[in-house]
Amino acid sequence: MDRYLSLWAESLPQLLMATLKITIPLSIIAFILSIVIGIVAQGLRSSRFKPLQWVSNIYVWLFRGTPLLVQLFLIFYGLPKLGITLDGWTAAIVALSLNTGAYVAETFRAAVASIPRGQFEAAQTLNFTKLQTLRHVVIPQAVRIALPPLGNDLIDLVKGTSLVSTISLIDLFQAGKQIAARTFEPLAMYAEVAAVYLVIFTVLSILQSYLEKRSNRYMRSVHA
Amino acid sequence: MLSVEGLSKSFGNQHILKDINLQLNDGETTVILGPSGSGKSTLLRCLNLLETPEQGTLTIEGDRLQFGGKLSDAQVRTMRQHSAMVFQQFNLFPNYTALQNVALAPTLNGKLSKSESQQLARDLLVKVGLEHRIDSYPDLLSGGQQQRVAIARALAVSPDYLLFDEPTSALDPELEAEVIRVLIDLARENRSLVVVTHNMAFAQKVANKIIFLDEGRVAFDGPAGDFFASDQPRIRQFLNIFDVVSSAS
Ligand SMILES: Nc1ncnc2c1ncn2[C@@H]1O[C@H](COP(=O)(O)OP(=O)(O)OP(=O)(O)O)[C@@H](O)[C@H]1O
Ligand SMILES: [Mg+2]
Repeated sequence: MDRYLSLWAESLPQLLMATLKITIPLSIIAFILSIVIGIVAQGLRSSRFKPLQWVSNIYVWLFRGTPLLVQLFLIFYGLPKLGITLDGWTAAIVALSLNTGAYVAETFRAAVASIPRGQFEAAQTLNFTKLQTLRHVVIPQAVRIALPPLGNDLIDLVKGTSLVSTISLIDLFQAGKQIAARTFEPLAMYAEVAAVYLVIFTVLSILQSYLEKRSNRYMRSVHA
Repeated sequence: MLSVEGLSKSFGNQHILKDINLQLNDGETTVILGPSGSGKSTLLRCLNLLETPEQGTLTIEGDRLQFGGKLSDAQVRTMRQHSAMVFQQFNLFPNYTALQNVALAPTLNGKLSKSESQQLARDLLVKVGLEHRIDSYPDLLSGGQQQRVAIARALAVSPDYLLFDEPTSALDPELEAEVIRVLIDLARENRSLVVVTHNMAFAQKVANKIIFLDEGRVAFDGPAGDFFASDQPRIRQFLNIFDVVSSAS
């Protein structure tokens, strides 16, 4: 046990460094971009111009329908054949954002679809413009509905970042893997890696339930 | 004045409203009656352009729309200013308090400043007896209270005609009574109301005019007294369901 404790103490700084340099920034940047992509995809999908709807639907179909690992390899190893060479960091951001963006687009679509028709009719009878309806009716309600699944999209993204080890980035998982190979202590090292992911997950879960409570403050079910 | 000429509306190949002609006078309460599926809601929704008829014209206070061609957004919005709908399911915005629900439209429509809208909203909520629930969110209000907020919200856009689609059908009898009281007050103030309801006591008490729809046609259009005294078999058959005895007998 002592051996494990000292190994954990020695390796922790390296793992945290990899977490802070790769895993967390990658997650944050890709999540922000995926929300932008999700909004754009949902916007295209609700446009009246059919070809824009197709673009959005095909994008979501492609990126939800194929594994993240395959997308990562296509972008990092495949695109250079077309003359587009991205470094590992950029390829990781692109793949993770596009992948998560497809799920976020689905989350937004479902959230908007679950707003009762009566809400739109109330906005209509009061003569709101499209923009006013979006701002005062659709967005506030869609955000409340979308928060829990959006939190899950983020958690999936954080765990998905472990795949970037395959395109030569040293993230939390890759750092642990290297130490495990050097020390011949896979059990101890992968357990430690898992523990760090769990800490991130726990922090995100707490944040998620706080935001959900806040956004539900006007609903009876939460007060009762 | 609100008038409808030759109005028709279909859903797919189902012809719902057939050549409707109506004339409603300002300051009167019109009650639309008819069996389920006869097109009452559809007619009311056409008046507020929540549905677009295929044919006919709608004129409210001198603004006239001819259906059949493409209507511009501006045309629809101008016509819609003349009326406001109160729905069976209230349809309040759950993310806003009672006060915000009522104050929102006059602010957004640019008719009043934010503080004027709030003052108006407060006055209207007092009028419907909700001064103590001004800052409550809809989800924390009873159905009857929610419907009274919805009435205040519709009043806040100062429509010429207030439209009600079964405003009490989702409510328990005690809650129905508090909403009916507000409707009676509005009728006494000589507002122009168009009410689809199954509440015959209300219809008998306050309606100036009854429109009876049957299979998408106007089967009766006239003073309420004449309607309840009518001996037309179709009307008697309808009224019998509600145990309304002929007021002529
Ligand atoms: N959006 C729609 N799409 C297709 N059919 C519809 C639609 N709205 C109404 N209808 C049909 O039109 C007919 C008239 O409906 P409407 O709601 O106007 O009747 P109603 O007189 O209000 O009935 P109720 O007393 O049950 O409310 C019904 O057969 C209904 O199924
Ligand atoms: Mg109806």
